[in-house]
Amino acid sequence: MALLQDLMDAYQGKIVKPSDALLHKTTTLLQDGMNARAFGEFEKPKALGDARWTDELILSTWYMAETGEVPDKLNFKTGESDGGFDRLDFQFLQESDWLEHSEAIDTKLPLNRRGDGKNEIEIDIPWYGGGMSYGSVSVNVMMSRARNAKHWNTLMSTGEGGYPPELYEVKESVITQVATGYFGVEEETIQAAPIIEFKYAQGAKPGLGGHLLAAKAGEEVAKLRGSVPFVSLFSPFPFHSTYSVEDHSKHLDWIETVNPKALLSVKVSTPHDVDMVAVGSYYAGAHIIHLDGGYGGTGAAPEIAKKNIAMPIELAIPKVHKFLQKEGVRDKVTLIASGGVRTADDIAKAIALGADGCVLGTTDLVGMGCTRCSNCEGGPSGRGCPWGLTTTDIELQEWVQQDWGARRLDNLYAALQWRLRDILRKLGLSNVRELRGRTDLLSYIPKEAGE
Amino acid sequence: MLESAAHVGLQATDGPLSMDKFGAESARIGREVADGYHRYHIDTEEVDDVNPLPHRFLVTVGKVGLAKLISKEALTYFRPWDPHFDVILSRPCTYGVFSGPLGGFIPRPKLCVGCLRCEVQHPEFVKVLPNPDLAKMGDSYTTHGHIAAIDEEAKKGMVPVRGQGYRGRFGGPGFDGMLTDMSEIVRPSRDGIHGRELIGTAVDIGSKPMHLSFDSDGKLSGSTPEMFTIQVPFIFDLPPGNLESTRLAEVVESTSRGIDTLACLDAHTVARNRLDAPNVVPVLDNAEASRASEFPRARLIELRSTPGRPWGWDAGGFDLAREVSDAIIGIRIHFEEGWQDRMTKAVESGAKVIHLLADLHGRGSDGTFVTELFKEAHMLLLEQGRRDTVTLLGGGGIVGADHVPKAIISGLDAVALDLPVLFALQGRSNGSLRQRAKVDGTLPRELDQEWAEQRLTNLCGSWRDQLLEILGAMGIREVRRLRGEFGRSMVVRHLEDEAFEGIAGYVGGGC
Ligand code: SF4
Ligand code: SF4
Repeated sequence: MALLQDLMDAYQGKIVKPSDALLHKTTTLLQDGMNARAFGEFEKPKALGDARWTDELILSTWYMAETGEVPDKLNFKTGESDGGFDRLDFQFLQESDWLEHSEAIDTKLPLNRRGDGKNEIEIDIPWYGGGMSYGSVSVNVMMSRARNAKHWNTLMSTGEGGYPPELYEVKESVITQVATGYFGVEEETIQAAPIIEFKYAQGAKPGLGGHLLAAKAGEEVAKLRGSVPFVSLFSPFPFHSTYSVEDHSKHLDWIETVNPKALLSVKVSTPHDVDMVAVGSYYAGAHIIHLDGGYGGTGAAPEIAKKNIAMPIELAIPKVHKFLQKEGVRDKVTLIASGGVRTADDIAKAIALGADGCVLGTTDLVGMGCTRCSNCEGGPSGRGCPWGLTTTDIELQEWVQQDWGARRLDNLYAALQWRLRDILRKLGLSNVRELRGRTDLLSYIPKEAGE
Repeated sequence: MLESAAHVGLQATDGPLSMDKFGAESARIGREVADGYHRYHIDTEEVDDVNPLPHRFLVTVGKVGLAKLISKEALTYFRPWDPHFDVILSRPCTYGVFSGPLGGFIPRPKLCVGCLRCEVQHPEFVKVLPNPDLAKMGDSYTTHGHIAAIDEEAKKGMVPVRGQGYRGRFGGPGFDGMLTDMSEIVRPSRDGIHGRELIGTAVDIGSKPMHLSFDSDGKLSGSTPEMFTIQVPFIFDLPPGNLESTRLAEVVESTSRGIDTLACLDAHTVARNRLDAPNVVPVLDNAEASRASEFPRARLIELRSTPGRPWGWDAGGFDLAREVSDAIIGIRIHFEEGWQDRMTKAVESGAKVIHLLADLHGRGSDGTFVTELFKEAHMLLLEQGRRDTVTLLGGGGIVGADHVPKAIISGLDAVALDLPVLFALQGRSNGSLRQRAKVDGTLPRELDQEWAEQRLTNLCGSWRDQLLEILGAMGIREVRRLRGEFGRSMVVRHLEDEAFEGIAGYVGGGC
């Protein structure tokens, strides 16, 4: 009888935590399949990729995440979006003037430039992991990213979804995000963090707040967010306690009281007056100004917002960089760029345009298998990501195991750092900080006639 | 008036309106609205497909490969004491493509969302391909992407929401080269969309006097507004090409009545089918202007140039129509050589509504895109000191929800929808969709009135909600304030010039 029931359950696809055998089978098939594609054993899937993340960019990211090296046969540098990073290139020196590829090429980035006695944080690579909340992704994905961040002496933001207890293991590498819904914001999670990030807006849905669909707000997620299970959760826009830069300053004072050593990061999107917003944030006390451009990732956003509201990051960075310079405060604040930064080449271009460093989100997910299919918000199944990334479904989330995820990201970051050093040496730079604002080292690939 | 007049006031406007009644009528409706408060809302409801789009993906499964896999897994995992049914029967697709009675042997591609898990897991025998039949739909401007979006919006009446970021090209031509602004610290906001704060989408059609005059008793003495209000800044335009039909006219008439907007319909169709109503805009050839008297319930009648007549402003028809009708007389003007002169003369002659028309790719006859053309028209009226005395309607190239706010930012008061109606009703097109007169389309053979009305209502609900998203992000409380607000938009070309100036090889101007 029990066997018959098992048979019926299996046939009907009953959703349960997978058995060890199923877990082994599925993860093996998925991982082998990704490798087979990335190593060119099968042709590229015809339906894979889009203008921003082409099939080759996705496959090259899988390749790097598996091997820790950049591929020979795949374009791992640019997409085909016909603008922004995809139309910028580097003006490398003649080969005879290149530096040796060496670990001595410094990729470190200090984050506190105010000299105010707060945490002196220096990360080993000029990027860290962007906020993806628990609920929008599983604990396994969150921990894979956080463990990798620790390994690379960099950071990862919680996003707005609370602080799963596992994160305390690596708390020195975890940024606590405070966003407009204040989900999961508690005294302990503020005290635990080296940096507190205030999210004013998100590039993919600027001015629209956040929304976690009911299906993804299960028991555990609700517990951490202090909400009722399986009820849709809205983060309003904007902060309802903030009507001015002075109010913003009040926010930062609050954090200072709870965690006096924490650095303060202000994450904003990229409107017309983003330069003014950045300067205002600096004067309010921010150590990090984090610009999130319009083409960035999201767990769920109205399609109309992604393409149309606010500007792409490539266009916002120089605007803010130059304005901070003009105001004479450029060297007192760290400018971080995100929202459409996909590759080491993008990171270097963003820095050359004027950022100090970048934040990666989608790249991490692609490293762990994401195909950019856009079903993260639940898709027609309501269960979230079929790859186990942006889901808390009890079965699907198991397809990404922490050890595997952390290893993939470790390899990916190694390849990204390798390529970043490769770019620096070909430009004759021994230090990534020397690249900042060097638009003279960039070139623009003009459009062909008729393009 | 931000709230709906439809539920409390339209009865009063059902009869013929005289010019001197407009102001008083507006005030009376306003009072009644305040008394019988009704929050404007478009009731959407998901409806079934009658002519579904080709599905997005084709899924092919090699039968031999699948049979081999099943046998291999059965041999590997099956044990009588622990048969591992969960492993043997597990399928890679969480969307049910392989969950039919015969599993992967007869896949159900219409359920496929292209996650590619199956193809990655089983590269030897599963293939997922973009469906070429879908890619073939539309033309170079109205792409299958627009058509699929309209289809989804008309089906569900919701704002399309998806995971992951933007997938398209950087900027682009036409409307894609314009971005809208947002404010980091503003209200109203997303709350507006969820109904806690009001963001108004009502617009006025007609003319507002530049000032009000009162006599010594405090009564209005000068001209009163000649205008009425509709609740959304979009109207239905004449169906293009061969789409004109009685059934379609009935559908757009009833839909526009339900959501309190307007439907432009050929005057002959209106007369023949007795569709004269306050929400119907009969469109007459200039040479037939005297027939304006046949539409006593219309609030707006539009005149178009008579086919075959020389291009130019003909005040005769306009004066005649005004003489025989109490409705506002609008003038349809195509963006052809000399349109500026024609518009100026029409306004000088007293026209209160100008309906501007580009081709369906959004271009004027000289190739200029509508964002520039609408802006030019708006600025021209502004320079003449007449902007508020005229309503600018416009159409051509509006095939996405984002095009509505962008056209309004460019200077329009309201936008006229043409092709979206065809695709919302799951019609199909053949060939180029550029020239209005040459559109070759077919609507579903059995166009059920209720179904079609709900589809169009859903489309309007979805586009209105998307407009609210844009307004909310900007912190703008009503769409009327968006008109001509170029400063709340960003042109990618200009931003690039600012950002990339001085970079070797960058020549600017989008080159
Ligand atoms: S659903 Fe999963 S695979 Fe698809 S885009 Fe989202 S994260 Fe990537
Ligand atoms: S691509 Fe994804 S959705 Fe489509 S059949 Fe394969 S597993 Fe199912």
